[in-house]
Amino acid sequence: MAEVTWISADGERITAEVGDGVTLMEAAVANGVPGIVGECGGGMMCATCHVYVVSDHPTGEPGPIEADLLDFGDAPRRDCSRLSCQISARSELDGITVEVPPAG
Amino acid sequence: MAVVDQRPTAARCPMTSGFKPFDQDGTYEFFSLARHEAPVFYNEETDYWVVTRRQDVLSVFKDPARFSAANVLDPLEAHPEELTRFLADNGFTVEPVQSNTDRPKHSRIRQCAGQFLNPKRYRDYEPRIRALVQEYVNGLRGKDEVDIVAELTHEMPARVVFMLLGVDDVDPLLIKRWALNRATMIWGKPTRQEMIDAGHELNDFFHFCKGIVEDRKRAPRDDYPSRLLELRGDDDSVLTENEIVCLVFALLLAGHEAVTNGLTISILTLLEHREAWEELVADPALIPRAVEEVLRHSTPVLTWRRKALEDVELSGVTIPAGSKVLLSLASANHDEDRYARPSDFDIHRVNARDHLSFGYGIHVCMGAPLARAEMRIVLEELVDAFPGMELVEGQQPEWTRTMAHRGPQSLKVRLGGSDHG
Repeated sequence: MAEVTWISADGERITAEVGDGVTLMEAAVANGVPGIVGECGGGMMCATCHVYVVSDHPTGEPGPIEADLLDFGDAPRRDCSRLSCQISARSELDGITVEVPPAG
Repeated sequence: MAVVDQRPTAARCPMTSGFKPFDQDGTYEFFSLARHEAPVFYNEETDYWVVTRRQDVLSVFKDPARFSAANVLDPLEAHPEELTRFLADNGFTVEPVQSNTDRPKHSRIRQCAGQFLNPKRYRDYEPRIRALVQEYVNGLRGKDEVDIVAELTHEMPARVVFMLLGVDDVDPLLIKRWALNRATMIWGKPTRQEMIDAGHELNDFFHFCKGIVEDRKRAPRDDYPSRLLELRGDDDSVLTENEIVCLVFALLLAGHEAVTNGLTISILTLLEHREAWEELVADPALIPRAVEEVLRHSTPVLTWRRKALEDVELSGVTIPAGSKVLLSLASANHDEDRYARPSDFDIHRVNARDHLSFGYGIHVCMGAPLARAEMRIVLEELVDAFPGMELVEGQQPEWTRTMAHRGPQSLKVRLGGSDHG
């Protein structure tokens, strides 16, 4: 379980408890976070769940496919860019905050 | 002792006897009733449990732990023993690598394949795809009445696949025949002899793919098989050589029927809804939206399959462990709970893009961005070159008769002669 906070492009904050193993993309869609679409459902065929991880939590580095997709998406890629379908909630991510990039 | 039928009443509802898995006439009307009266039902003809509501189809796609993909490419009709023996004796070592594998093998292979088959890489191919489409469109100029399948949509997707594979010396029509054979062997109802003949050709096709991989081992290029070999190094725990051959085989076959049908159906549907075609002529920036609405409204891949690994309840119906499950993508894309007036074709529909035509989740179609690009580019070039294009009146196109694929075998159009290119 992890408490996750999303900050939308408009500055709206949405916080939810996310069960272990649930991805931050799935949780964002379930909680209606604006700007997180998750169109492909976690198959890494789109970049519509791109987030900036702005808190200091250990989410790891993007893999090679994810890196290509972060380059491909409309929003600018930053060092803290991740596809949120590739981050699963777990206790060490408790308190994580991610920002949703502005629409491209 | 009598065997008690465990299937719930809804699953045996008489209206579901109207389900015709190989005949697509009236399919949407049937499903609009089924979604209300028997959203999940058992079909004896095929021994599949049919799932019709969007939410249920989506929950199956989201649940690879309880729904195996192992049966996705299983032939509906078992191979004759003679063919099985022939294939085994001739080094036909096709194994599941993508759509019909489960985790962890699926994750391992997709991690490799996705490093080449992804939207960023596809974008690099777009100028070449456009040039290819323009080559076909230029070939149409000056003609009046044409079969757009024979002249464009049948062959072109094969040549896009050739780009990815670095193949430049093969007749695309040969690949198309192989691909159609494969599709018929999986989703159709071939006769015994048709099955055996197709199997022999399939074997040729597999050895052709082996040849490509052998060649790239000696002389790597900037293409998919070379990239897979590079990722493999010499490490079978990354990818085996046979898996690479199977990935090439899968790419050469994937998407032919689906992309050809998607292209043909998009032209047919837009010309049937003239006002939409005219809108695209006036404002080609609307084309990406129109593509999504075509995929939703006139879904080219009608069904996809899974197998239940345990008892699972969907819409109040328990599907027993071990059951084969048929997901009706066409029905999901017409679900009234998601889409207002689902049978209306409306290129301005705001949520058209959340159709399930490419699946969803870990198995989502790896060619989806490419298929979308091909549909978009073809429509862009056609509305530009032939804004006055129209359907030839009175034709009765023959449609493919398989349980998964839907598309006209020919489509006669009049190009309009108003070529302003």
